[in-house]
Amino acid sequence: MVRQKGEFQIRWKTDLPYRWAIGKLAVKYFEELKKRKIMGSKCPKCGKMYMPPRGVCADCFVEMTVDDMVELSRKGTLMGFTVVNYPFVDPNTGAMRPFPYGYVICQLDGADTYLMHFCDEIDHTKFKIGQRVEAVFCDELPKDHESYRPELKGDIYDIPFIRLLKDEEV
Amino acid sequence: MPKHDVAIVGIGQTKFRSKRRDVNIPEMIYEAVKAALDDANLEIKDIDALLIGNMDHFEGINFSELWTGIDACGFYLKPVVKIATGGTTGSSLGISGYYNIASGIYDKVLVVGWEKLNEGGATTGIITAFDPVWERPSLAGALGPLALMANIYASKYGIERSMEASADVVVKNRSNAANNEFAHLQMPNITTDFVMSSQMISYPLRLHDCCPQSEGACAVIYANENEAKKITDNPAWFKGVSTAHYYTFGCDDIMYNLPTATIASKKIYKKVGIKDPIKDLDVAEIYEPTSWAELAWTEALGFCDFGKGHTLLDEGISKMGGEMPVNPSGGVLSTNPIGATALVRFAEAAIQIMGRGGKRQVPDAEVAMGMGFGGSLWTELCILGKDPKPVR
Repeated sequence: MVRQKGEFQIRWKTDLPYRWAIGKLAVKYFEELKKRKIMGSKCPKCGKMYMPPRGVCADCFVEMTVDDMVELSRKGTLMGFTVVNYPFVDPNTGAMRPFPYGYVICQLDGADTYLMHFCDEIDHTKFKIGQRVEAVFCDELPKDHESYRPELKGDIYDIPFIRLLKDEEV
Repeated sequence: MPKHDVAIVGIGQTKFRSKRRDVNIPEMIYEAVKAALDDANLEIKDIDALLIGNMDHFEGINFSELWTGIDACGFYLKPVVKIATGGTTGSSLGISGYYNIASGIYDKVLVVGWEKLNEGGATTGIITAFDPVWERPSLAGALGPLALMANIYASKYGIERSMEASADVVVKNRSNAANNEFAHLQMPNITTDFVMSSQMISYPLRLHDCCPQSEGACAVIYANENEAKKITDNPAWFKGVSTAHYYTFGCDDIMYNLPTATIASKKIYKKVGIKDPIKDLDVAEIYEPTSWAELAWTEALGFCDFGKGHTLLDEGISKMGGEMPVNPSGGVLSTNPIGATALVRFAEAAIQIMGRGGKRQVPDAEVAMGMGFGGSLWTELCILGKDPKPVR
């Protein structure tokens, strides 16, 4: 007898919803983001500036509160890049994540840590480590852009991606 | 201070493959456990406690030790502890095994790492390990960040040279794997052209620059000095272990040169009396998730200067027959059952010390390193030898 593909296996495909508290500093971050402000958190002991903001400085084991949050520039420096070009299921949606997509690590001006995020460039020859980059807000995009939203909602997709700045824009 | 010397006295591995649809999880684990017990000529009643680990989210089964530990490992009415620390799961298990014996709590323990990656999705599972607000939306599992790191490495040391050297790593490890009956990807005739013309997965990583997803289990039996001599004349002794865990966020540092490997290796070299790792170590089994990672990790471990990872290959040092072969087993580029992977590094280091490597044996290996990598770019190390004493 020829065994059919998938026979004697159990397939399990179902939604598994979760609801995560995002934390005191992230609440403040997204409130301020709606006002077009990007906030990091500064350790009151060593002065290290965390972006994304964090509740505790790992180096000092000192708590940071919303009072330690400081506005940062939307511009920064490209530290590393890749173009993700492989298929996988995105656990946030349960669907395949669209690819290829640009993926960068950058340092916003004034921050001591780094931000990993999407980039709208998918040609790897266009990236140059050390070049200037900028966080893009969704309501500034052309209306027909897939990441366009008419207003900021206070979520991660208010800044849908990082953009590479051309020499003449720097 | 340790109260006891600690030895590896028995090892069992399954043959690692992309799919083991012929067995379920406990059936697969039992194969490795039975092989380890047979290897040490012991029965399950002889073992005091069990340490078992995998990453639950890869198979979507939480608390699997409930049934894998009792059924497949035979730990009815005995202590069972589950350990899960990402890629370092296997080395956390391996180091915990050492602590359990060295502290005098137990005389003999069984340590088991396993994974059945084809039953879920490795990239999807890895994403669920990261911060849901900041990291999950854009994270592409492990390969995206490893590609970022490879590009930073290339920007510092040159893209052309690094690409050629990384292809040399793949050729070395996958052809070594052909000497290891347990290895997943065995490619005795692989060439650098084959690697460098494979599909671009995440620039600059091509398909064959990346580890596979494997299924399988590894079981290792640990014993103290009194029990070890009853079991075997030829155990592999722990000279030391070392752990360095870094920041929680992957983006807190650029980390392309794995600072934890430098920190952990300096600690263990001091403890074990190693001055020049290339001369003092005879073989190393390191956890290289990508070809580029072997270049960066060997530098971070002090095997060569930063930016000189390619010299280990150019001069033949890390190849079979070289002064200090790296990954005679084929390494992680050939076999990656994540929860077992780092324990396999410890087990393969022990196999070299015991002189039981067959075609992959490094002649007269007396001091061997095993490395685990994972979590938020964490490093865990062991150094094994023919005796538990420091090298000098």
